[in-house]
Amino acid sequence: MLAFLGRSLIQKIITLFFVSVISFLIIHLAPGEPSQIDPLNPKFTQEVLERFRKQFHLDEPLYKQYYIFYRDLLTGKSVSWKDSRPVLGKIYERFLNSLPLFILGTLITWTLSFPVGIPAAIRRGSLYDRTTTFLAYLLISIPGFFFAYILIIFVVSRFHVPVIGMETFGLSSKGWQFLMDRVWHLLLPSILGAAGGIAVLSRYVRSQMLEVESQDYVRTARAKGLPADKVHYKHALRNALLPFVTMFGLILPGLIGGSVIIESIFSWPGMGRMAYEAILARDYPVILTVNFISAILVLIGTFISDLLYMVVDPRIRL
Amino acid sequence: MRWILITVPTLLILFLLQSYIWVPTYEEQTRGNPERLSEYIDASIGDAQILNPILSADSASSAIESKVFEGLIDRDEDLNFRGRLATHWEIFEEAYFYVNNDAWIPNLGRADAEGVARFLREAIRTRKQGDDPVSRPLGNIEKVEVLPAKTFEVLKQEKDAGGKAVTVTIRVAAPPRIRFVLKEVDQELFRHLSQLLGREYFSSFDGTRFIGVYPEAFSRKRVVYGRELLPATEHNPVIVFHLRPNVQFHDGHVFDAYDVEFTYEAIMNPRNLSPRIADYEPVKAVEILDPLTVRIVYKDLYSPAFSTWAMGILPAHLLNADALREEAKRRGMDPETFSLRQSELTRKPIGCGPFRFREWKSDQYIVLDRFEDYWEGPPNYRKYTFRIVPDLLTQEMEFYAGTVDSYGARPHQVERLRKDPAYQSFTGLSLGYTYIGYNMRREPFKDPRVRKALGMAIDVDKIITYVLYGQGERITGPFPKQTDFYNHAIKPLPYDPDGALRLLAEAGWIRGTDGWLERNGKRLQFTLITNQANPIREDILAIAQDSWKQIGIDVRTDVLEWAVFIQERVNKFDFDALVLGWGMGIDPDLYQIWHSSQTGPNQLNFVAFENQEADDLIIKIRQEYDHKRQVAYCHLLHEIIAGEHPYTFLFVGKWTAVLDKRIVIKDVDPDGTVRYSRIRPTKIGSYTFHFNKWIKLTEVPRFELEG
Amino acid sequence: MIGTNPKSGPTPPEGGVLAAPKKTLFQENWSLFRKNRLAMVGLIIFVIFFIIAAASVFLTSGRDPIFDPALVRLQEKLRPPLAKPKLETLKPEEVPKLGIYLFGTDDLGRDVFSRMLQGAWVSLTVGFVAVGIAVVIGVFLGGIAGYYGNKRIQVGHLLSPILLIGGVIGLVYGQTGEGLFLVLLGLGVALLLLFHWNERGGQRIPAGLSILFVNLFSVDLLIIGLIDIMLCFPSFFLILTVVALLPASIYNIMIVIGLTSWMGAARFVRAEFLSLREQDFVTAARALGVSNWRIIFRHMVPNAMAPVLVSATIGIANAILIEAALSFLGFGVPPPHATWGNILSKGKSFIFDAPWLTFVPGFAVLIVVLAFNLFGEGLRDVLNPKLKERH
Repeated sequence: MLAFLGRSLIQKIITLFFVSVISFLIIHLAPGEPSQIDPLNPKFTQEVLERFRKQFHLDEPLYKQYYIFYRDLLTGKSVSWKDSRPVLGKIYERFLNSLPLFILGTLITWTLSFPVGIPAAIRRGSLYDRTTTFLAYLLISIPGFFFAYILIIFVVSRFHVPVIGMETFGLSSKGWQFLMDRVWHLLLPSILGAAGGIAVLSRYVRSQMLEVESQDYVRTARAKGLPADKVHYKHALRNALLPFVTMFGLILPGLIGGSVIIESIFSWPGMGRMAYEAILARDYPVILTVNFISAILVLIGTFISDLLYMVVDPRIRL
Repeated sequence: MRWILITVPTLLILFLLQSYIWVPTYEEQTRGNPERLSEYIDASIGDAQILNPILSADSASSAIESKVFEGLIDRDEDLNFRGRLATHWEIFEEAYFYVNNDAWIPNLGRADAEGVARFLREAIRTRKQGDDPVSRPLGNIEKVEVLPAKTFEVLKQEKDAGGKAVTVTIRVAAPPRIRFVLKEVDQELFRHLSQLLGREYFSSFDGTRFIGVYPEAFSRKRVVYGRELLPATEHNPVIVFHLRPNVQFHDGHVFDAYDVEFTYEAIMNPRNLSPRIADYEPVKAVEILDPLTVRIVYKDLYSPAFSTWAMGILPAHLLNADALREEAKRRGMDPETFSLRQSELTRKPIGCGPFRFREWKSDQYIVLDRFEDYWEGPPNYRKYTFRIVPDLLTQEMEFYAGTVDSYGARPHQVERLRKDPAYQSFTGLSLGYTYIGYNMRREPFKDPRVRKALGMAIDVDKIITYVLYGQGERITGPFPKQTDFYNHAIKPLPYDPDGALRLLAEAGWIRGTDGWLERNGKRLQFTLITNQANPIREDILAIAQDSWKQIGIDVRTDVLEWAVFIQERVNKFDFDALVLGWGMGIDPDLYQIWHSSQTGPNQLNFVAFENQEADDLIIKIRQEYDHKRQVAYCHLLHEIIAGEHPYTFLFVGKWTAVLDKRIVIKDVDPDGTVRYSRIRPTKIGSYTFHFNKWIKLTEVPRFELEG
Repeated sequence: MIGTNPKSGPTPPEGGVLAAPKKTLFQENWSLFRKNRLAMVGLIIFVIFFIIAAASVFLTSGRDPIFDPALVRLQEKLRPPLAKPKLETLKPEEVPKLGIYLFGTDDLGRDVFSRMLQGAWVSLTVGFVAVGIAVVIGVFLGGIAGYYGNKRIQVGHLLSPILLIGGVIGLVYGQTGEGLFLVLLGLGVALLLLFHWNERGGQRIPAGLSILFVNLFSVDLLIIGLIDIMLCFPSFFLILTVVALLPASIYNIMIVIGLTSWMGAARFVRAEFLSLREQDFVTAARALGVSNWRIIFRHMVPNAMAPVLVSATIGIANAILIEAALSFLGFGVPPPHATWGNILSKGKSFIFDAPWLTFVPGFAVLIVVLAFNLFGEGLRDVLNPKLKERH
């Protein structure tokens, strides 16, 4: 076990290094200059362009830029090119905004997928099963912005309450009302984010339950005369849950993600929008830092995932 | 287990849903909240970047800066300049020429400096009342002065034959010079003077023999140095601004000429990387005559210079070198590398404008309070909020709900919103236009008949009606339509596909058997490109392609990401035709877009338009300080460009802003009577001109007898 | 029943008259599949779609096609589905072939039905090819990681592809001398490894070359590393970058979407294989001398396919939607060529004025995905030994 951990750790660190190099190369190979340097803006003479390039070290050889960038990143000094603010500060600020959305979204997704997917498997072929199948694929096929608009219009015209932004504009910031206001504003975007997740996850749940339900030991349990509930929820479910335990680890990278579309529609100042705008503006320090942090999270996530899998399934020998 | 699976989600959902009870409705937020009336809320798609007018380059930052900072001048309702931080100003000129000892002056012979000066003074005295082409410029001369000869040295960095850097010393023994002080700027001065002093007087002056170069190796560059360091004639336009006394910055400090000087130096300081450097490049010197008077001397004639002084003035006492060092020390950063861009003032600006900065929550909102000590009197609104709402649909909904005060209506909504009794709307033409540009380096675009035919094959009026929902107007030339400079006498190209076919036939393109036009066996085929994220341009792409297909031209289309579009296609001239637009200012200087010298890579004349007459006009326009004469030159330039068809000029879009109808202008007479009047847009459609006087009433007012 | 051997029916009694009809594997699976009515419906819908898509390529291309997807009729913009055209405003060749606008018109007056036809082939192929690539790579890599996990990668295994790739790059960039040298070196190392591997036991390796056979890390670790690296890049960002760099052709997009979405399938397959590997039937098969490849593909893969099928179905819808997002941002198939994706993305601005621009392609995608889902479930039931009900 320990040997596995040790090897895994070393391998993850090497992977991190490769990721940092590859992402660095990709950014610099993509066409386009940082938007401070906009060649079609007549106010920018050749000289100003040169000076900008020098300040961003863009005239130095790639490996030197790589070294400079990661040195700044690891000492916390790297600064955004768009507005000269420290990158880590910016990311942290947006992260705090995205965090509640992420937590709520994940909570809703995971608590709702199982009650939806399990009965579908148990009652395979029934009206319930077919309806949920249809709805799930409907949610997957029609783009998210459509539902977002429909929901917003519905709530606003029926209930006349604001839904966009993190809080109601102009509300004083204290007390229970403030807290509940924040929860309300979290609700709609989380539901939208979770909707897709529920659709997908419930499909997996159903598929896993189906597999497990057809196993011999389940048949035996039924034959033994155990009540249906016990058969499904005590015996079948526990085994079907195995792969999902490992999926837990993979939730981690979602912390630094965020749907750009949902954040734009709801004016939510989150990580997704920041990363997207950074890409458009070619704000290299921000892009690379976000990438780096998300890589770390992915690696931790998969590590936990593998660990859990080994712990939970006795059949596995790594 | 089963019960857990059911109860947990149910509880969660119930908890979430009950939060609805606590949220104030829109009604409570707007009508139930009296404070709402004294607040103006604006919405924007993007966040501001840097709140420093000399450093920022995006529209959101400009919107805030226009409220927080103030410039020396701006434009009034009729587009004339009016003073803001400056009360009045004078524009005149100092002109110089070197005395040419070898030239033969009619009626005088060869003369030295004193002789020439005496001659000129005499001519002025006798002829200044005259009305002929030589006497009028003479009447413009206020003073004639002789500057004695002087010797000076100039150091230059050059590269020798091997590419090594060498410092070259140039000794200049400048001959005496005559200095004029003129009442008005006159770009034709020396042309007229050469009638008096002899046609060859200025052109025959050669500075080469006054130049000594060390090291010897660079002697061959004497001619070049001569022309550069000893120009025969020189124009130095001068602007003297008289500043308004007792104007305060938001922190109480009084504004004076040192702030103006500081702003100029900050822009020119290479460390600050200001995108505005090019605008102030022609400035030779900024001199402070007294704390309320600034004198700005220019290196050469450059009429757009005056409008650059609308730039917001920065507080010197907070941003000069000493202040920056203090700030660096205070924040624990390195004073040597700390620059303007890193100062806190880019996030918490301080200026002289009508609103002072209160708060900025990144990507959410920026709040400004009214500045009670504003020199023109405090604005009526107590608070100005700039909300960032990136999605247009939600912006629209917030506007309907009353939590945003203005909304930019999209073309298909304009009709509906205009008729809505709860709102008032304003429409104006944008400053700029959309066009199809042809790469005139490539066949078949070298032939102006082809370009004209391509323009005639597209029904632009239909595009305006259906794609823009009527929210646009046709244009025929390169100037903004709402200014004087636009020549309304030029007629737009008619929609005439048959005429187009005839023109193309003249140029040798005949329909082949398969329906496509061809010449010498080659099909007429090219690719039309544009940038993405602009649905109107993409529509134009599809329409143009279809229109040209109808007359037999095989056009492919492509849509590219902006950076790729600019760097890989436009800057490298790797395109056939493109759909693009220009956003412009009011100044008629079109040098960068149309002059034949601007056809290099990364420059803006990427269609390669080269016309000698146009070049001359462009130079004349940017050196002309008199408005009427400028307009005449512009009309001529417009005619030439329209006739050459380097672009198919399509249209200029209209913008429509919709406001709550309860917003009106409030004036208070000196005797205390309060008058309300409706907001009216200015000549170029700007409706926010009197923003400081706006106020929102509790009900829609009824204006009586609006003439 | 675990393990299949359908060729053995009941042994015929002496006399040899009673013999059950012999069926091939395929025939047997097919008849089982046919019994599942829903699955058959799925398959039929599928086939119909593909035929329509293939036909559409002819119906909508050329200079004067039967259904013209690019014909602009500005005065007919945003007409709802089943609307009659305003004949007075149209030239005779502009009238839609069916007499009405079956699915309405878009904001430039183009017939949505024609555009859907034109887009059918592209969108279907994007979906299936991208997912196909992803599934193939995912199952392959996941299987190897799961099954061969413990096998060690040797120095030579790494060295030879590096040398080969370096050599090819050299040749491409014109350094023929160095390129050729590296390629030969790489081949040499590969051959050596092959020889040693084939003649296990006994052969003595020449002294200096033994370094090539030093064990490094396991196959499993290598493949996990690869998966991790790919997972670290947000896939949309990767797709965007590559599409911005390469010419915007539909094939590039398909390949890129495929190359960036195999990780999920790989992880699933690997996880399943890790547990299946220790099961009795595998041990039995090995004892019987069944070759490794056969074990993997004939016996283990069908058991592991369940989650992969789900992700494949979702992946198809996803691929088409990614193509929509890409055309929204301006990449993707260049205009005026229609795809379901770009009709969808154009529809975003007109969501209230013309909701059919979102609904029509959305439902088309939905039907394709549902059909594939039904088909896939039927397939899984047939192939999965655990679920089979054999007589």
